[in-house]
Order: sequence, then C-alpha cells, then structure tokens
Amino acid sequence: MSVNQYTPDRTESKYTKSASTFRQNVQRDLANEELRSNFAGAMDYLMDKRKASFPSNDELETLRDQCKLIKQRALVKLPHLLEQLETKLNENGIKVHWAETINDANEIIAQLIESKGGKNIVKGKSMVSEETALNDFLQARDMEILESDMGEYIVQLANEHPSHIIMPAIHQNKKQVADIFAEHIDDFEYTTDVDTLIGEGRRILRDKFSKADVGITGVNFAVAETGTLCLVENEGNGQMSSAVPDMHIAITGIEKVVEYLDDIPPLLSLLTRSATGQAITTYFNMISKPRQPGEKDGPEEVHLVLLDNGRSQAFADEELRQTLQCIRCGACMNHCPVYTRVGGHAYGTVYPGPIGKIISPHQLGLESTKDLPTASSLCGACGEVCPVKIPIPNILLRLRKESVKDTKGGEGELKGAGSNRKATEAAIWKAWSLLHRVPAMYKVSMWFATRFRGLMPSKLGAWTSVRTAPKLAPKTLHERVKARRK
Amino acid sequence: MSYKFTQQSNSARSVILQKLKKQVEGADYDKLPAETGFTYPEISFEDQFTHFVQLLRNNQAKVISTSETELMDQVISELKARDISSLLYGADSPYSQLIEQGINQSGEQVELQDYDYQLTDNKDKLFNHTPASITSSNWAIAETGTIVRWPSQNEPRTMSLVPPVHMIIVDANKLYCNFSSLVKDQNWKDNMPTNALLISGPSKTADIQQTLAFGAHGPKELIVFVMNSPTDINL
Amino acid sequence: MTELNVRFYPSQPKQVYLFGTCLADVLFPDSGIDAIEFLERQGIEVIYPDGQTCCGQPAYNSGYQDEAKQVALKQIEQFPLDIPIVVISGSCGGMMRHHYLSLLKEEPQIQGFCDRIFEFTEFLVHVLKIELKDQGPKEQVALHTSCAARREMGVHLTGRKLIEQLDNVELIVHNKESECCGFGGTFAVKHDDISAAMVADKTANLLDTGVKQFISADWGCMMNINGSLEYQNKPLAGKHIASYLLERTSESNPSNKGN
Ligand code: SF4
Repeated sequence: MSVNQYTPDRTESKYTKSASTFRQNVQRDLANEELRSNFAGAMDYLMDKRKASFPSNDELETLRDQCKLIKQRALVKLPHLLEQLETKLNENGIKVHWAETINDANEIIAQLIESKGGKNIVKGKSMVSEETALNDFLQARDMEILESDMGEYIVQLANEHPSHIIMPAIHQNKKQVADIFAEHIDDFEYTTDVDTLIGEGRRILRDKFSKADVGITGVNFAVAETGTLCLVENEGNGQMSSAVPDMHIAITGIEKVVEYLDDIPPLLSLLTRSATGQAITTYFNMISKPRQPGEKDGPEEVHLVLLDNGRSQAFADEELRQTLQCIRCGACMNHCPVYTRVGGHAYGTVYPGPIGKIISPHQLGLESTKDLPTASSLCGACGEVCPVKIPIPNILLRLRKESVKDTKGGEGELKGAGSNRKATEAAIWKAWSLLHRVPAMYKVSMWFATRFRGLMPSKLGAWTSVRTAPKLAPKTLHERVKARRK
Repeated sequence: MSYKFTQQSNSARSVILQKLKKQVEGADYDKLPAETGFTYPEISFEDQFTHFVQLLRNNQAKVISTSETELMDQVISELKARDISSLLYGADSPYSQLIEQGINQSGEQVELQDYDYQLTDNKDKLFNHTPASITSSNWAIAETGTIVRWPSQNEPRTMSLVPPVHMIIVDANKLYCNFSSLVKDQNWKDNMPTNALLISGPSKTADIQQTLAFGAHGPKELIVFVMNSPTDINL
Repeated sequence: MTELNVRFYPSQPKQVYLFGTCLADVLFPDSGIDAIEFLERQGIEVIYPDGQTCCGQPAYNSGYQDEAKQVALKQIEQFPLDIPIVVISGSCGGMMRHHYLSLLKEEPQIQGFCDRIFEFTEFLVHVLKIELKDQGPKEQVALHTSCAARREMGVHLTGRKLIEQLDNVELIVHNKESECCGFGGTFAVKHDDISAAMVADKTANLLDTGVKQFISADWGCMMNINGSLEYQNKPLAGKHIASYLLERTSESNPSNKGN
C-alpha cells in the first residue's frame, strides 16, 4: 500500500475543498444571493419533475421496496458478487483492478494510461473520479485530462468542483456560464443563449473526442451475472468516452455491483425518475466486452477499477451498511432544506447533501467531517424520497452518537469516533439526564426557573439573533394540573 | 515503470474481500426477504404503441410511419430538407439492400457511405465528414419510449452516436411493454453483446440552468421510421 | 414513510394519560391545560402523571443515547396503566412511538408501550373519530406540521382533517407547506445561520398567505416560528391546535358570540 495519501492542491480554486471549514463555507454561501437563487430555482425544478414522474404512489412505494431489497441482497452477497463480477469480466476480456485508497486508484489509472502512451484523455461523468481527485493527480504527472460532461466541463473551466452529483454546474446560471466561456475560450462570441453555449461546448468537446486515445468513465451499475458495466446518461459523453478511444477505463465503488441483469430494469427506472424525473435517460449503455475481432469501433482494452476508500468501514456495521445501498440519484439533496440553502460547495466534500453527510465520514473520518452529521434538522425529507430507502436521518443520529462517544477510537471503531466529544458538553447532558429522571429535582428546578423567569437572559446567543427568546410561563403545567384538581 | 500496480491490486483485492467476507460470513441467502415488483395494468398493444410514439416525440425525436416501399422516399426527403447529400449506412445490415436500391433508383445525388473502416484510423471522417447515418434497431420499449440497438460489425455503435442526424428504423412488431420483459424474453443474460444501447431521443443536456438543449455531444436529431405501425401516427 | 401510518386504533377509552412534554411544561402550559379540558369534554378522564419530565429527545438527537435512555426509562415508569398516552407535540410523539423502539430495544415491554402512544390530533381523528362543532367566527388559518410528526406520524393529514371539520374556518395552504421550519432542536443553535435561513423562508411563506393565525401541533416548531415572527414585528402568530380547537368549539368563548 502506498504510504502517502495524495492531497489534491487546488489553491487556485475559489472553493477550498474541506469539510473542516464547513461553518465558514456556510456563512460565505448563505450570503451569496445569486448562488442561493440558483440553487432554490434548480431544486424546485427537480422536485417538481420527480413528483410528476411518479403519478402512482403505489407503484413508487412498491418499486422503492423492491429496489431496497435488490441492493440489500447485493450487499449481503457483496464479496461473492465482486468475485463473480471479476470472473465474468475476465472471461469477457475486461481487466479488473482493485484499490483500497484513492491514491492507489489514481496510480492504477495513471499506469494504464502510460502503458498505452495516452496523450489525450477524455472523461465522462464520474463522481468516483472526483472522489479520487483524478484530474489533479494526472495533471501533476503532466497528463491532460478533459471533462466532457457539459456541467463537468464548465466546472473544470472555472477550476471548481461539482456542486451536485447529477448536475455539476447547478450553482452557475447561464450568465455566469457565459462569463466562464468568455474568460477561457478563445474567439467566444459572448452570448447567454443556452443553445449557443451548448453548441460551443459541443464544438470543442467533439474535437477532443475525435482525438482522444483514452476515455475514462464511471459506472452506474455493474452486473455480476453477465459482467456488464452500465452507464446512464443524456448527453452521450459516456458513450463518446467509452466507444471512441482505444482504451476505456471505468472506475467505480465496490458497492455498485448488482447480482442479476433482471435487477437492472427496476433500479434504472427508479434512478432516472428520482434524479431528474425522466422515465429513462436518453442513453443507457451496457458494456460487456472490449472490441471483438471484426468489430470496427469500441476500445481495444477495457479496464475496471474497483475502489474501496472507506466503503468497507461502512460495510462493517449493519446499520451503516445501508449507506452503500445508494444509487447516487441526488434526490436527497434536491429535497434537502439545508442543501437548497447552503449549496453543494459549502459541505467541502465530494458528495454534498444528505448522502454526503453519511458517506463522507467513512472516507475522511469523523474528525474532519464533524459538522456534517449535526447540520441537519432531521426533517426526514431525504429519507422520504430516497429510492432505495436509506434511513438517512437515523444514520445521521448514529453518526452523531459515534462522534461524541467516550472512546479513543480503537479497533473496530469508526475512523474518528469520539473525536468530537467535549467534556463540557458531555457533562451538560449527564446533568440534563439526571435532572429529567428524578422528578422531584426536575420539578424543583422548573419551579425555580418559572419563579425567577425575570432573570432569564433575553439574549440566548445564536437563538436570538433572528428570534425573540421564549418566555417562561409563570407556572408550570405540573403546577397548573395540580391546582386544577383542587 | 517500477510501480507494480498489478501486485498492488492483488493485495488490495485480498484485503478488501477479506474485510467484506468477515462481515457476511455464513449469511443465509435463503432467508432473504421476498422481492415483489409492481404489477402494471395490462394495456393493449395499440395503447403501448401510442405511448411509445408519444414519449419519443416528447423527447424531440421525429417519428414517421413507414413501409418498405415508402422508406427511402421519406429518408431522401428528410435528407433534402436538411441539405444533406451523404448518408452513412451499414452494408449487409437488415435494410441495406432497400437503402442501396432506394438511393440508386431515386436519381438523387446522395452519396452512400459504408462503415467499412476501422474507427481508430478514421475518426476525422466519422466526426467531420459524416452528416447523417441510418441504422436498424433490434427492439423497442413502450414504457419509456426507447429503441434498443445491439450494434454489430456492420452497424457499429458509433453510427448512432457521432453523426449529427441519426435515422433509425424500428419494427413495431418488436415492441415490448417494458425493459424487464424484453430482457427476460430475449434471454439477454446468456448472450450479452459487446455493447447494448438503449436510445430514447436525440442527445441532450440541461446542465446550464436546467434549460434543455439538444445535441450535447451526439445526434442533434433522431428520426425514427416505424415499420408495421399498428395505428396511424402520421399526424 | 407511509408504512408507519398503518396502525391499529383502539376504540374510545374511558381514560387516557397526557404526556405534556417539557417545552409545554415550562413555556406553554396553556396548551396542556387546553388539551386536558378538550379531552374531558369528550367524556374522557385525563391522567397527568406528576413524575413525567421529558421524552429524552434532546439528548437522543445530540448523540447522547445513554443519557436519553435513562430519561426514557423513567418516563415509561410513569405510565403503568394499559391506556393510551396522548402526546401534545408531534416530534415528542414520534420519539416515544418510534425511536424508543430502537433506543430501548432490550426492554421486553417496549413495543407495548410504544403502541400506546398517540399524537393529539391522531388520537382525535382515529381513536375518538371526533366530530367538531364550530362555534367561532369566519376566518382563515394556515397549518404548519412538524416534519417528524408529518413523516413519522402522518400528522399533517389528521391536523388538516380537524381544521376541515370547522365550518367557518378556511385552511390556506402556504407555499412549501411540507418544508422544515429550521428548528430541529440543537440544530437551531449549533447551525444557527442555516436554521435562520430556513425560518426566514418559512415565516415569509406563512406571511404570504395573509392569515392572522397559524396552527400547529408541535411546540418546537412554533417556538421557532413565533420567535422569528415576533422578532420581525409581524402580527402573525401560531397557536397550538389543542387551544385552537377548544376555543373554536366552546360556546362560552367571548370571541365566538354572535355566531
Ligand atoms: S442516498 Fe438515496 S436519495 Fe440520496 S443519492 Fe443515494 S439513492 Fe439517491
């Protein structure tokens, strides 16, 4: 295993990519009105589209149950299915590589590219490659890699990170995109017309596709039974990246494997409808083999990189394992009142929103993600829409518990468990607990509280910056019930 | 290179698998809960077909009812309407004879290009000198308005991806109600091709301010010719 | 989470317990008294165990589950009779009905206890099958349902049903009705700026309806929304549904005269 974890350096970027500055990020982004209106508009749009695509609640709930069980079955059999996938892919002529860390994954990809003498690398949309910060890694080795999903391309031009897992440039409006194009593309004739902007992107990217020798993509589902890699997309960049260059490298997390081909149709249906409200995306691309003798296109070599990066930690606990059911539809963020307001960059993690809050601690540790599990009102909107029924609020509660646990984070503990336990806070909850389980003590203190309510501060720190302080009643309910009985 | 990623990968493999196996060792697969799919109401073939056409049109595909006798006239008129004088097709593909005859008999100046080359050495040709293509399809799916293609040696996958205008011929008799029934009925699991493609419209994106734009990377236009159409769709 | 709403409802009992919640105890006791009075008018004897304190949710949501557990166990002791326990705040109801199951999963009797928990509006609609006789003047109100109550207890439906029974009251649904008000217990303090942005939008949406009053069955949300409205000097305020129903159905209420 390589010793040094590669740390991406994007000092040039506006957005520091760190969850440990969550609070500052939130302040910065809440104050940005244009950003907030971009997100609010986009989330409303996506929520409406999703809703319209599920006219029958009965169908929706049956599908959710079914897909939850499909994913749970795949997880119970995960090691076995990964082996089966590997065997099948090998039979089909696709090579499989395993990586425990992001650094290992990047190293594998860099070596593969070098083995091919790759010069022009194009990448279709892949969040796992964001997770590994592949672009930075390859650029540090003087390899040029171009994002080809329109949203990712915009984000790359602006030297930013995706702010949403499905729509990477959702934080920019068309005027901002036009500004980015004007800054980075020679001879760009300024316009905010979306068709023209996309046309411009098309022109540049098609030229790159026609010259690319290596294509990199993610994977939405990997089918163990047949050794098939499935890609879901609207634009065609995934196909361009997987069909035109002579080498195709797919990278994905170990949790993406499903058992049967028959598992795919219900998952696909829920994925696209939950994500963008589409019955299906424009393209669904199923890749099972490299170019065969007699075939005229497609890659000569296909590789799959399977990444762990903390997933096996989530796997080790039955409750937290449910996190791995995720099919990355983005519905939880679209419906999250926190995400809608702070946007995707504030989280400082690759995966933002509710799914980011529950997966990032396994990747980065609870210490550097300490503000994420608490940054939720536990309203439950995420769990309600999640197509595979991940009980996100319960998992957040669990992570809160792990985070403040009295432990030094030993064997079998989550990375960073107990790192946010503060002696004062723990003492307060101990005292609180004592007070609330000894009725006599509780009543006496409530009696005092209400009697001396004039002494209660009218400023309660954060609470009263936008609200008045609640006023204690002259007499408690306990007392009034008693008085009433007399 | 000194870095031995294969070795590295092998050791990662055993570490990962070991960690996972430790957790689920002895799991009783027979005890897994039953999975029930939703039972969709039966709908008539005509309704399925109408739905199929409707969805494709919603996704900005042009859908035209055709027959062996009408096909090439329609194809040529679509080409002429776009000022296109060259068409990529696949020799020895299901409709190739029809296409060849049609072009020859029409007297129109349409150059028929065969995909008779390796893409690796002909990318410029395919990307920059191929304005339109025509392919067959294998099946179609009513529920999602989808056309299914198993690209072949004669009709490679980039035919339906790179040219700005893609024409595709669909046989209504090969329409399935949904993806699930197609996969089962055609026993895909035992004969997956190199590549299987589901196509449900022209290439599109909503990545800029949720505004839909067509022709992101692939075809800007998808023209669907339907053989054996059970209902009159040429409205 | 639709499956959570499917439950068995007993027939009308003679006696119930009332769980007043800690917030109502020291901040809003009127609503507790009003709930008791309202239930008594339906011919039900209400027992308010003196030893009750708090459901344990604040510690539970902060990750201090052992501390929450000890408090929860103490509550269970206070309700020994096998009669329904009516809770006048939706999120506390959700805590006791659903989260106790996992928090106290080792307790043998826990399922039985949780099955006895009913949120106030749920109890009125499903157990009492109540028919309200509106005595009040014509007015419009909005309804805000706490998220926990909505998703764990289906309270948005029962709250709506009750308001709809009031002939002279028109329910105005505010924009983004189902969206969280930003309370979330310690969330409001730990992440005060996000919470502030949420309550700003919630109050704006409520104010947009033009109603003079909004109704809720959850004191957490109401403390948050009312505090924000008062801070903004707005004439709108929220009222607990128990107080509102009591007021609307009392002939003796002065504001109901002349109807
Ligand atoms: S957690 Fe659920 S809702 Fe969120 S991205 Fe994953 S599958 Fe979608």
